[in-house]
Amino acid sequence: MIQSIAQKEFVSTLRDRRFVVLSVLVLGLLLAATLVGRASYSTLQQERTLAQQTVNDQFHHQPNRHPHRVAHYGSFAFRPKSALSLLDSGLDSFTGASVFLEAHQQNSVNFSQAQQSGSLIRFGELTVAFVLQLLVPLLIVFLCFSAFTEERETGTLKLLLSQGVSLRQVAWGKIAGYGWAVALVVAPALALAAWLLFGQEEVAGNPDLWARLCLFVLSYAVYYFLWIVGSVVVSAWQDHARTALVTLLGCWMLGTIILPKATANVGAHLYPTITKAQMDAEVHEQAQKGINGHDPQDQRTAALKEDLLMQYGVTSEKDLPVSVPGLVMAESEAYTSKVYQQHFTDLTRTYERQNALSTLAGLLNPYQAIRPLSMSLAGSDFAHYVHFQQAAEAYRYQLVQRLNTLQAGMGYGDKERKLDAATWQAIPTFAYQAPPLRWALGYLLVPALALLLWAVGLSWLGLKVIDNTRVA
Amino acid sequence: MTYILEAKDLRKQYPDKLALQGLNLQIEAGEVFCLLGQNGAGKSTTINLFLGFVQPTSGAAYINGLEVAKNPLEIKRHLAYIPENVMLYPHLTGLENLGLFSQLAGFAYAESELRDYLEQAGLPPEAVQRRVGTYSKGMRQKVGIAIAVAKHAKVLLLDEPTSGLDPKASNEFSELLGKLSGQGTAVFMATHDLFRAREVGTRVGIMREGELVDVRPTSFLNANELEQLYLHYTH
Repeated sequence: MIQSIAQKEFVSTLRDRRFVVLSVLVLGLLLAATLVGRASYSTLQQERTLAQQTVNDQFHHQPNRHPHRVAHYGSFAFRPKSALSLLDSGLDSFTGASVFLEAHQQNSVNFSQAQQSGSLIRFGELTVAFVLQLLVPLLIVFLCFSAFTEERETGTLKLLLSQGVSLRQVAWGKIAGYGWAVALVVAPALALAAWLLFGQEEVAGNPDLWARLCLFVLSYAVYYFLWIVGSVVVSAWQDHARTALVTLLGCWMLGTIILPKATANVGAHLYPTITKAQMDAEVHEQAQKGINGHDPQDQRTAALKEDLLMQYGVTSEKDLPVSVPGLVMAESEAYTSKVYQQHFTDLTRTYERQNALSTLAGLLNPYQAIRPLSMSLAGSDFAHYVHFQQAAEAYRYQLVQRLNTLQAGMGYGDKERKLDAATWQAIPTFAYQAPPLRWALGYLLVPALALLLWAVGLSWLGLKVIDNTRVA
Repeated sequence: MTYILEAKDLRKQYPDKLALQGLNLQIEAGEVFCLLGQNGAGKSTTINLFLGFVQPTSGAAYINGLEVAKNPLEIKRHLAYIPENVMLYPHLTGLENLGLFSQLAGFAYAESELRDYLEQAGLPPEAVQRRVGTYSKGMRQKVGIAIAVAKHAKVLLLDEPTSGLDPKASNEFSELLGKLSGQGTAVFMATHDLFRAREVGTRVGIMREGELVDVRPTSFLNANELEQLYLHYTH
């Protein structure tokens, strides 16, 4: 029975010119967004790969130099684009793409697309996620708002029920039928995305990516199920199609525009963040309390030197087998890095609290559940960005300390000497490994749970409403 | 004795109106009962109570011995319903509409059988493959009749079924009802058509302000007497 009703809804929907026009528009936008996303992904990925290769090459081909000069010459870390970011670019456009890695200094990630674009990017980009999260639900609203009201107004509901069908069966049939229609609109774009994605050699055999894509599709399936069930239930609850449409459009606006903005504002108010300048000033101020590698008059430097002389049982710096400035640099780097990490962790925690508030709002609003879920699966959320930042900082620290060790090993008077160019070629360059899905699961848990709770709760409540639907 | 269709002290009170007051009625297999009355007299409420679409305030309606309110799905296996204005799914053809409703009733007919039902109901053969959105009211009514007939129900609940039908089609419908009643189907028909009621009915009942005020066998009434009786109760 449910299948017969579903088939009827599906066929009727496909023969309805209004739906055909709307779905062709949405499908066109989805396909365009997929192709644009793919083109943007390819361009940026190529640019970043080339840039990373170039800076790595430049690093390896430095001439004979003092290690500390190499530490200041530094290198760059470019954030590779996640393959699934062609579906959901998430925060990628607003977070930076590259970070300069140098001694004594933890630079921020710069050169985001937003920084390099006009103000129009603030209005949002046409991404697959934008169409999937905002426009497809709107299509569902227009498709389903009259699911029950029209049947009741025309009298077909009575005829249908007189055949021995229950209201619940009618509702599930409609939900299934509309689900097929929505799948028909969304599936081609996702199939195209999968084809574009897995057509590339480097990602073709990547099970992690397959798993992410499958979960991505599953998440959106649950999200659309919610919109379809919600629309059908509102249609059963309201007496007239017009009222049902206004109610659903109100829900759409509240869920996709008003609540997310309000939550973001509340988050920023409850957990204010400091500015970059403030943070830099605080880090600088605290770093002054540690050893200063570039100040030979620094008392803590003198104390370290004394300790070394005692440790090696010599009376003069000249007799030390190690370079005092090299060890001082290492001490200084360890201290400033610790100070920076503390501030960075505090700042990240503040952002995480703001994000957590928004993610928790997913329990009230499915749009705020699918958004972090989608970004996280696409590898373009805040957590993935922080993972890159930390990887870049870990590499920077390791690189600088390695150079400091090289300097320390040069012994007294190291400043007058240089190390051979071959030394730099032995130092590994930055190679970022994006985290696997397993790592991201913790970030997926709350939004995924919120979506599932919504699905169960709305179905349960929906059935209660359907059972009490007025027939005559 | 188990009647095919029975009402026991059936009463329906709406917040602003008493729609049906204490209806007692028994209809046997093969009987055609025509319920007459003005608009708002309670005819449609009675049909809705038998269909289980409206819950009674008190009393009970029975179909084939089963209480409607307690067996809302089970009783529908025994009845077929034709509303005053049959509205079907406009994007489906006549054939597809009949196929769908038959499937929902548990019958999987071949296309040729569906065509036969539609043609029996008087739908032109060339129309069966057209979308119902292009049908006239009369054509939709014929598809509604085909849906009811294809269900092979023990009870037919008809709410102004000939509304919108041309005289020829109405006549054919009367013949069809005669045939079905001959096969043992009980028919409960709410109508304004006194002529049709006397012609096909075995009994007529007159309803006024929610009350069944008179019930008579049609065999003792000619058309004129029925009209006089109707006018007597309704004016």
